[in-house]
Amino acid sequence: MAVDTRDIVKKREQRYSYGLTLLRDCIEETRDLPNEEDFFKKNVLRVEDITISFGGLNALSDVNLELREGELLAIIGPNGAGKTTLLNVISGFYKAQKGDVYFQDTKITNYSSHKIAEMGICRTFQNIALYTGLSVIDNIIAGRHPHIKYNFLNGMLYFPWARREEARQRAIAEDIVDFLEMEQVRNTTVGMLSYGLRKRAELGRALALEPRILLLDEPMAGMNLDEKEDIARFIVDIHEFLRIPIVMIEHDMGVVMDIADRIAVLDFGLKIGDGTPEEISKNQKVVSAYLGKAGEQ
Amino acid sequence: MTINVDRPCGTFDSNYYQAMEIFRTPLRKFLMIAFIVLLYAIAFILDDYIISILIVFCAFSIGMTGLQIITGYAGQISLGHAAFMGVGMYTMAVFQEHLGFNFWFALPLAGLVPMIIGMLFGVPAVRIKGLYLAFASLAAHFVIVYAINNWRSVTNGTDGMYLHRPGVLLGIDFMIDKYYYILVLTVTVIMIYFAKNLSRTRLGRAFVAVRDNDIAAEVMGINIAHTKVLAFGIGCFYAGIAGAVGGGYYEYVNVEWFTLTDSIWYLGFLVVGGLGSIFGAIAGAVVWKSLDELSTLVTPITEALLGGMAFYASAAFSLVIYSLIVIVVLVLEPRGINHRWQIIKRSYRLHPFPY
Amino acid sequence: MEDLLKSIMLGLASGGIYALVAVSYVIIYKSTRIFAFSQAGMLVIGAYTFWQCLVVWSLPIWISILITLAIAAAIAIIIERVSMRPLIGQPILAPIVVTLGVMLFLRGIALLFWHGEVEGYGEAFLPLGVWHVGFLSLPKIQVYGFIICMLVIALLISFYKYTRTGLGMRVVHEDHLVAQNLGINVKRIFQYSWIFSCAVAVIGGMLLGNIQGVGLDLDANGLIAIAAVLFGGLESFGGAVIAGLAIGIIQIFAIQYLGALLPGEITMLVPFVFLLLILLIKPYGLFGLVRIERL
Repeated sequence: MAVDTRDIVKKREQRYSYGLTLLRDCIEETRDLPNEEDFFKKNVLRVEDITISFGGLNALSDVNLELREGELLAIIGPNGAGKTTLLNVISGFYKAQKGDVYFQDTKITNYSSHKIAEMGICRTFQNIALYTGLSVIDNIIAGRHPHIKYNFLNGMLYFPWARREEARQRAIAEDIVDFLEMEQVRNTTVGMLSYGLRKRAELGRALALEPRILLLDEPMAGMNLDEKEDIARFIVDIHEFLRIPIVMIEHDMGVVMDIADRIAVLDFGLKIGDGTPEEISKNQKVVSAYLGKAGEQ
Repeated sequence: MTINVDRPCGTFDSNYYQAMEIFRTPLRKFLMIAFIVLLYAIAFILDDYIISILIVFCAFSIGMTGLQIITGYAGQISLGHAAFMGVGMYTMAVFQEHLGFNFWFALPLAGLVPMIIGMLFGVPAVRIKGLYLAFASLAAHFVIVYAINNWRSVTNGTDGMYLHRPGVLLGIDFMIDKYYYILVLTVTVIMIYFAKNLSRTRLGRAFVAVRDNDIAAEVMGINIAHTKVLAFGIGCFYAGIAGAVGGGYYEYVNVEWFTLTDSIWYLGFLVVGGLGSIFGAIAGAVVWKSLDELSTLVTPITEALLGGMAFYASAAFSLVIYSLIVIVVLVLEPRGINHRWQIIKRSYRLHPFPY
Repeated sequence: MEDLLKSIMLGLASGGIYALVAVSYVIIYKSTRIFAFSQAGMLVIGAYTFWQCLVVWSLPIWISILITLAIAAAIAIIIERVSMRPLIGQPILAPIVVTLGVMLFLRGIALLFWHGEVEGYGEAFLPLGVWHVGFLSLPKIQVYGFIICMLVIALLISFYKYTRTGLGMRVVHEDHLVAQNLGINVKRIFQYSWIFSCAVAVIGGMLLGNIQGVGLDLDANGLIAIAAVLFGGLESFGGAVIAGLAIGIIQIFAIQYLGALLPGEITMLVPFVFLLLILLIKPYGLFGLVRIERL
């Protein structure tokens, strides 16, 4: 599989030379993208024995999870299984009662959310959480916030270097807009966009943060087939072109089986399965808990 | 397909710098410059009464812009804005009276001291929001007023303090009202330009992000604690400068000039003007202070009608009429005058077509 | 020891009324999730209306009370219909500004009708005089006032507990949409809440008018009660009562023991400094509901 990916990456690079290249340069400036040998080997994110409960309800109990370099991991499970809670713990929004999260061997359990985002763990949200009053392009530039290097006084006085920096950030943001094929609506306030486009804008904002790991919370929920295919295409492109690992929560089994490298299954806060799509589809526990009768046929 | 009508027809950006301009067409730039030149020019035509009104407009435009930064951009509610304006006035007076500073050195300090106090009272905003924050700022109001009232050795208590305008500089005598107006206007233009720059750069976007979705902002790499406290700081800096130049006109300041009622009108007329735009802030300030002038004009009329007992009529007039205006605007047009202005501009741009 | 007991009695007396006013905030907040700053204005209106009926028109006390309550209900209905109902679903700033506007509007109305002069009920309302219990001297007004406050609050709590409308109000408190789907007329409940709240506020206004004198400055008590509501938690009657009494006692203690350190008038300062402390330490109050934020 790893061998295939290398070829695909080169092909994609040629195909998408117009999109995301600026972003890729930015990412390469600050950190090394994994070289081919490390692909699929190194751990980037490790979740150890996470336990969290709300009141009497155990949202997660002793969940372990590993994310390897360049991997597309799908998390599936019925509603209320704790998938979103797990992402919230990773991005520091909920504090786990027990257990730790490690990002490239750094313990980030007690880091504040914005620090974690700055380190490169970026995400999208299940219920769209865009900055509704800003246009698409401004949302994406707002996502660049931690990477803009001047303080507010320079901004207020609008010095030439602040102006140049703004233009540079706008160029990167426009690049992302091009990649997501949102040129037509770039100046529209996101509150006025359709659901599918808003999901896309949110993906763009997460990309703007120069992600080291991308967490996607139901990126295709509530979309029609066309929109789903678009998003799936974007996810695969991001995955291959930027070579970043992606964690994706998704209910659409067709998509998950198609694009995921590995699948983790959660049920009532417990991890009941972890493996390649083929393994998961054969795992009896998962089949009975999640796929139900359809799996047995 | 969505057609963007927020920009003039037929103008296209050919580079990223153009996309960031304040004025999209040379005509608009010219009109704005012409308008500012006009504001300067009328100083030499109008009499002192009109000039006094214009000075008040300018000062409150600065203050309202500060509240716009706190409330309109960063979404934090402040019910103590008038008190911070008062802190600015008193800082000016204290530095001039006790430490012998002149106007020019005291002016930035009159911004910085409220800024620091504002940031202190902004600290609760890190954990709380919305209604709870309104309570915190209410508390700020009472603490500040208490301090000014009772720290007699410094603030002279309820007797008020005197402050001074700058003397003669470069042959301009600022004791003459029209020259002082030019000074205030210059400060106003600069402050508003800074606020506009703020709103279109990094921190301005962070403010709006915190306003629109603070949880998401935190998870998307914006330090919201830092951002909120800075919003309070910058907003109170504006309030302090507004107080300093406004108090400089009267050359006197009294603690009774900034009551809780004033803070509420600040917030109310900000909404009347329109949240989230500099134009809205200026419109709100101008409407508010015009009504103030109107209510002082009404006083002689009510005196004629009601005889000698009209002393309460002006106060009652302002309370009843202002609150009605604020309530009606909020219920019928929550986006304020600014929204109406946008509609007018839009219909002008699309002129032969209805929409 | 004597001083301590005296201060506690004094604090309880003023705290009872804070508790009553706090409850009037809680009634509205519980069902509409709007904090009605306007109730501070209702205190003034209630005090003046009652004075008008009782002293100026020399009406019997019961008729005066009924007229005052009726006017309170009418104002409540107008406020709810005209200014609050269109704001359902608006961001938090809109109701805050509107209720503050209503507060100043009511103040303006009071100024217009009664010219801001300080009046008193004299002997017409609660009996004057002092009871001597041991070393304590209890002004009758304050004792009666405290009893009336507690009675009204007890009546309200039992109303919430035992009647159908009260049940509806508690359901609306949990979730507006769910309540609507259960067949409860949410808008009607909002209206009831406003009526009850304004009625409670004018009763508070009458009692305050009797103790402090009828004047425009009564609305300061409404602002002090905000500290009580916050201390108790915005959604809890019990919390409001306990916190109201606590604020009364803290205020008296502060005046007695800190008065030497802090010059000037500290009746407003103490509750608000206390409020700041609560916000820093426990922002959702003693009995408030901490909502888990979701993403």
